[in-house]
Amino acid sequence: MTKTLIALVISALIAPVAYAEIAALPKDLPAYSADKPLPVPEIAKRVLENGMTVWVVPRDGVPRVDYVLAFKDSGLAADPADMPGMASMVAGMLNEGTEKLDSKAIAETAQSYGGSVAAGAGNDGMTVFANALASKAGPMMQLMSQIARTPTFPEKEVALAKANALQGLKAAEAQPGFRAERAMLTAVYGDHPYARTQATEESINAVTREKLQQAYKLRVRPDQTLLVITGRIEADAAFELAQTAFGDWKVEGEPLKATAASRGEAKPSFVHLTREGSVQSSVRIGRPAIPATHPDYVPLRLTSTVLGGGFSSRLMQNLREDKGYTYGAGVGYRGQASGGALVASADVRNEVTGKAVGEFFAEYQRIGSEPVSAAELDMNKRYVAGGYLISNQLQGAVAGTLASNWLVGLPPEFLGEFVPKIREVDAEQVQAMGKKYFDPKAQSIVVVGDEAVVEQLKEFGKFEDQ
Amino acid sequence: MIVKPARSLLSLLIGLSLTAPLFAADADRWEIPVAVKTLDNGLTVVVSEDRSAPVVGVSVVYKVGMRLEPKNRSGFAHLFEHLMFEGTPNAPEGTFDKVITGGGGRNNGSTRPDYTNYIEVAPVSALEPILWLEADRMKTLDFNAKTLKNQQDVVKEEIRVNVKNQPYGGFMWIDISQQAFQKWENNHDGYGSFVDLENASLDDVRAFHRDYYGPNNAVIALAGDISPEQGFALAEKYFGKIERRETPPKPDVSEPLNTKEKRITQPDALAQVPAVAVAWKIAERGSADQAPFAVLAEVLAGGDASRMYQGLVKGKEMALNIDFLFGLTGPFEYDGPTLLTLFALYKPNVTSEQLIEEMDAQIAQIVKDGVDAEELARVKTGMLSDLNTNMESFLNRADSLAIYQALWGDAKVVNQVPGKIESVTSDDLKRVAAKYLTAENRTVIDRKPAAMLAPAAAPAAAKN
Repeated sequence: MTKTLIALVISALIAPVAYAEIAALPKDLPAYSADKPLPVPEIAKRVLENGMTVWVVPRDGVPRVDYVLAFKDSGLAADPADMPGMASMVAGMLNEGTEKLDSKAIAETAQSYGGSVAAGAGNDGMTVFANALASKAGPMMQLMSQIARTPTFPEKEVALAKANALQGLKAAEAQPGFRAERAMLTAVYGDHPYARTQATEESINAVTREKLQQAYKLRVRPDQTLLVITGRIEADAAFELAQTAFGDWKVEGEPLKATAASRGEAKPSFVHLTREGSVQSSVRIGRPAIPATHPDYVPLRLTSTVLGGGFSSRLMQNLREDKGYTYGAGVGYRGQASGGALVASADVRNEVTGKAVGEFFAEYQRIGSEPVSAAELDMNKRYVAGGYLISNQLQGAVAGTLASNWLVGLPPEFLGEFVPKIREVDAEQVQAMGKKYFDPKAQSIVVVGDEAVVEQLKEFGKFEDQ
Repeated sequence: MIVKPARSLLSLLIGLSLTAPLFAADADRWEIPVAVKTLDNGLTVVVSEDRSAPVVGVSVVYKVGMRLEPKNRSGFAHLFEHLMFEGTPNAPEGTFDKVITGGGGRNNGSTRPDYTNYIEVAPVSALEPILWLEADRMKTLDFNAKTLKNQQDVVKEEIRVNVKNQPYGGFMWIDISQQAFQKWENNHDGYGSFVDLENASLDDVRAFHRDYYGPNNAVIALAGDISPEQGFALAEKYFGKIERRETPPKPDVSEPLNTKEKRITQPDALAQVPAVAVAWKIAERGSADQAPFAVLAEVLAGGDASRMYQGLVKGKEMALNIDFLFGLTGPFEYDGPTLLTLFALYKPNVTSEQLIEEMDAQIAQIVKDGVDAEELARVKTGMLSDLNTNMESFLNRADSLAIYQALWGDAKVVNQVPGKIESVTSDDLKRVAAKYLTAENRTVIDRKPAAMLAPAAAPAAAKN
């Protein structure tokens, strides 16, 4: 919407649907042709004298440059316990005024370069994204540098951002997914900072210009910064732009602390959030998992894809295509620097709320108790490889993935190594991941919806109404 | 966030609003290769070769959308779109997704007023199976009561998740069209009523497929790791033998501009912040006013540098956001009566009347003074860049080319849009603002949290 909106215990498992073994294919359907070699981005790397890391991936496609500037350990997890969401406010204010330009001038200048520059915050870092026409690569680098290095957090802009954030929070509270997410974060992460990443009325009201400036000063420093440059630009020219824009940036103060590890297991909790007049239940099922650097990362990614990663995934086929309970069901793995989570979701009509949870768990049970067939495993590996190829076609996506990998502690080479690693995973590992991470008894459940649906959930646990 | 009727939330389409250039360096111009051939059966094939990645985007666009669905079957074009994925006599339910997934691809479909698109993006090694699947479902479907029932359920869940269970419920495209247009084709709910959806029969499905899904009513576009020769040969191989089918004559859906302002207030049981949609009927496709409209929308509400963002979100601090929509499409991607709609959430201490007054002041300023050269140049530069970006993804490129070919009869329009935009002058903007952005031609929906509309019941009000 707008940038100021804050963008089991089961007794009776329902028998899983017999998974349609990959049905015989139509006889005249042509075979896939031979795969072309996997393109691996060539990353030119340099470290500036002040410790700032710069990576360049030159491309010859769209006449545009993409910049991603990531600040490690500066994200929502670094916010004080009584100031959740503050990193979003810090990031959101970066393009609202610098020593040389006010908010309007920044927006107009970016537009005149055929691009944009804006920042956001994730759990592990704040990130500035910028892009511009290729001919404006230099000026946009300068503009981004100003925003990153000399933001002024003007009093008037802070006041407006607070007022809008409060309204934005109200608007978000009207969406069932927002409330479900908040409850699930607590269920998964307990009192770890990863649990408090949504702003609250109190935390927004407590924001002051001084607090934002202080947080910025502590968290944004060259030796914990990565700049990724992709697009129509030569590596040498890109390094020169980076040197000019960031070379004289000085390291000050103490380095940031990494976030403490979040938990890997949690006692399941069962939460129902009443939403009057709701015609669907927003069902979320989740548990803590592993950080992105954990050895299980690759097999777990593949396992969650088999279970709930696309149209042909088991959850989608079961809950949507077979039962017609929902428009979409899936499960996502969230890998972060200091922990992770597995969260499944579906929005289903009220009367099938309990049955839908039952089907999730039937699939969870099955993936840990029987090996995935060779055909289904191969289909999913090819699906993951295809996703890499499709995303790799887009230069901004390459820059974004390199930066997000870096924020969670994965090396630059990981991007090109991911698909080969996925191809090595076997059925036994998938089943082991299923058993380890998808045991229904380890899952917390959050349901946002009508009060009456609680009745359907009794068999899964004792639900607390919030 | 505007959620369009689509097969899936896994939306692969990134941004439909097209945009484009001036004063941008020549190096920033990106000529898109476009080759077009029409097969004997009437299927038009568009190919855009780009060897930069071993990937191909595919879009099959049928020239039928919400406007042409049967009158007692609102939402049928979209329900039908779902059924296109539910199997054929040759490829039973499940085959389509498995073949594309196993090929490493992604697929989706969506329904708009003037067309329905089916899109895939995949490693090029999966191209032939994908073309086989698209040709197979163009021939016939597995008209099956079980999958019809299943997708009726799925579509109802889609409407619940996007409309009935969401604050604002898509009022900025569904309700505003119902209020602004006079003809049924333009003003019915394209998502559909549950009753109409439930009444859909297999005979309806058969007739719709027969009438609107023949090769002569379709365009296929391929973009990426393929040459025009290869693309044309593959299209001939897989689609060439499908017989053309007669398409019903198109009704006249045209409507004049409105002559009397319409303002209504709607309660929203789920929303907590009020919102407003302000819409004007716009120029028809191909009109000299079309490109000025594209630029005008950007000047008014295209991002942080726009006048209304600077004036209403900043400045007067009345709104939380200000966004524009060209119905469910982009400024060059419609072929019938369409609205330019401004959508904003606004603060409780202002009224929609005050907000509209400010919008009017911004519009009046353009009518009076136009837009100066510096502002016009930067807006056009931003539009050129957005247009380039829309062509980067092979999926979006294939889809845009197929849509241009279907609606304009010429995919090469893609390379004309930059020039059309470049030639827009300040006087064009004055003229178009004065002619169309009038109170008479305007429809407004003030969407308020139900609690704000029930003062009599509130204890505080009772004290007065």
